Amino acid sequence: MSDAVIYDRGYRSYDGPVGGRWTTRRAIVADGIRRILGLRRKTRRKLLPWALLSLAMLMAGIVVGLHFAAGSISAAITEGLPQYAELFDLFSRLALLFIAVTGPELIGPDRSQGVLSVYFSRPMTVGDYLGAKLAAFVSVTSLIYLVPQIALHLGLASLSADGFLAYLGGNLDILWKIVAVSLAFIAVHGGLLAVITSYVDRTGFAAAAFLGTIIAGRNLAEAIAEASFPGARWFSLLALDVHPRYVRDWLFDSDVGGVYVPEAAGFGPWVSVAVIAIVGTGGAVWMLQRYRRLA
Amino acid sequence: MDTIVSLDKLTHDYGNHVALDGLDVDVPAGVTGLVGANGAGKTTMLRILLGLLHPTAGSVTVLGHDALTDPLSVRALVGYMPEGSALPKDQTAADFVAYTAQMAGLPSGDAMRRASETLFLVGLEEERFRYLEDFSTGMAQRVKLAQAIVHGPQLILLDEPASGLDPAGRVQMLDLIRRLGSFGINVIVSSHVLSDIESTCDYVVMLDAGRLVRSGPVVGAHATSTVSVQIIGPADRFTTALSAAGVEYLVDRETIAVTADGDDVFDVIRDAAVSARVGIMRLERRSLTLEDEFLGRADV
Repeated sequence: MSDAVIYDRGYRSYDGPVGGRWTTRRAIVADGIRRILGLRRKTRRKLLPWALLSLAMLMAGIVVGLHFAAGSISAAITEGLPQYAELFDLFSRLALLFIAVTGPELIGPDRSQGVLSVYFSRPMTVGDYLGAKLAAFVSVTSLIYLVPQIALHLGLASLSADGFLAYLGGNLDILWKIVAVSLAFIAVHGGLLAVITSYVDRTGFAAAAFLGTIIAGRNLAEAIAEASFPGARWFSLLALDVHPRYVRDWLFDSDVGGVYVPEAAGFGPWVSVAVIAIVGTGGAVWMLQRYRRLA
Repeated sequence: MDTIVSLDKLTHDYGNHVALDGLDVDVPAGVTGLVGANGAGKTTMLRILLGLLHPTAGSVTVLGHDALTDPLSVRALVGYMPEGSALPKDQTAADFVAYTAQMAGLPSGDAMRRASETLFLVGLEEERFRYLEDFSTGMAQRVKLAQAIVHGPQLILLDEPASGLDPAGRVQMLDLIRRLGSFGINVIVSSHVLSDIESTCDYVVMLDAGRLVRSGPVVGAHATSTVSVQIIGPADRFTTALSAAGVEYLVDRETIAVTADGDDVFDVIRDAAVSARVGIMRLERRSLTLEDEFLGRADV
């Protein structure tokens, strides 16, 4: 006869280490990043975000490759190739699609599936929850804006006739400009998305509403800003996704987008900076107020 | 007896609708049932205990912490299982339960280990790596229970845990709750099914339209019983004889329910039948259930 004994392990209370609210926030950030990228989810949830991210990286790779190929032929040709400002323009629609697809995933399902009642029974505040979700959103969307730019920066440095380190040292300002423009895009898109996903639970509808608002806002702004009634020029500020482009061209001293609607209406780039700040912080505050009622 | 929850003149209204009306209750340690019809204020009370809802008036103390001024301390010690669907469909049971453990402050390694242990405890050890969208209602309820206990709370609040379950699932869920009580976890379980509470809880708090109907040990409800009598002959002569003998009774169509306070109730009924010259067709002792008590006391 065997000497084996079967024990009923029953229930044991947890007596290990327990962290504070930072542990909770870190857990939400990590889960948010996994949710956006479809990690630890079924394969179908991974497809779109990874396809878009891969495409963005591929585009950056192609641009660096073009610089490399053109540089070996003639330095004059490289001046006509996309640089930092142009690269933002090249994948801005890709990034917009990425944000439209993945952004609502971060917020909507928790609400539509009733999981908030479980989450808010944990020792955290609404601000902890939304702040951590915001951090996850900024972390992942920064990837799609920053990584291709940094790849381009390093690629150009490696192709520079002055040498790798000399190029990096002589173009330090590029780094903060890349970060600033990326944050400008993220603030506008994130702020608008925050307002929409506060109300629209279904991720598909939220994505459609987000893209629709961006497109409609730009068309409306262009149509009304040219009208002759008093104050018509203020409508030019409704072209939300134009503001980061205007700021980008201003910072990089480039002319990628020509004359922008706010610029044509007589507004300087600082007005666009203000609009970006208002949309970004306004969206976050709006969502916070909305969730304080929901939680 | 230790008090785990103390409500003092707790009142909450939603505009014109009064959900809780001046509740004064002390809930002791153990398994407590929160009973009432739909809309009686059970979920409102549970949400106030968690500090998720601020009452219009009154005060709430949970495990020694003020739920209104210090809700995070309360939530660190409490687990909550909400009613209805509250699971992310695109996660596995293990990932979700571990995530809720991390949200309670557990390091990720401990959270994964505790998730496995609690899913084992609720009988989902085989299914823990399946996605929640593939779970039946019974399995989903067990996952919700697992997340409520994963961080080792001192008190768990269960809102209609047997809701939507088939009879077998219902019995299993109630067994689980009883088992958790036997492990020393304090439980407050809300239900509108009185028999569930009767079979599971040590203590009961009855609510009706936001008012307290009764709070006390469940066994107290069984202390008083009745004897159902059906007679052959005029009922009025028999009831007159019962009154003369000093016993209380209630006539419900053809049955007379005689309140049995002592062991000699059968003798009293026999003597009353003899003096009233009626025959006894049926005689049956019947315990007073929570349902009888609720119907007797509540405004229903």
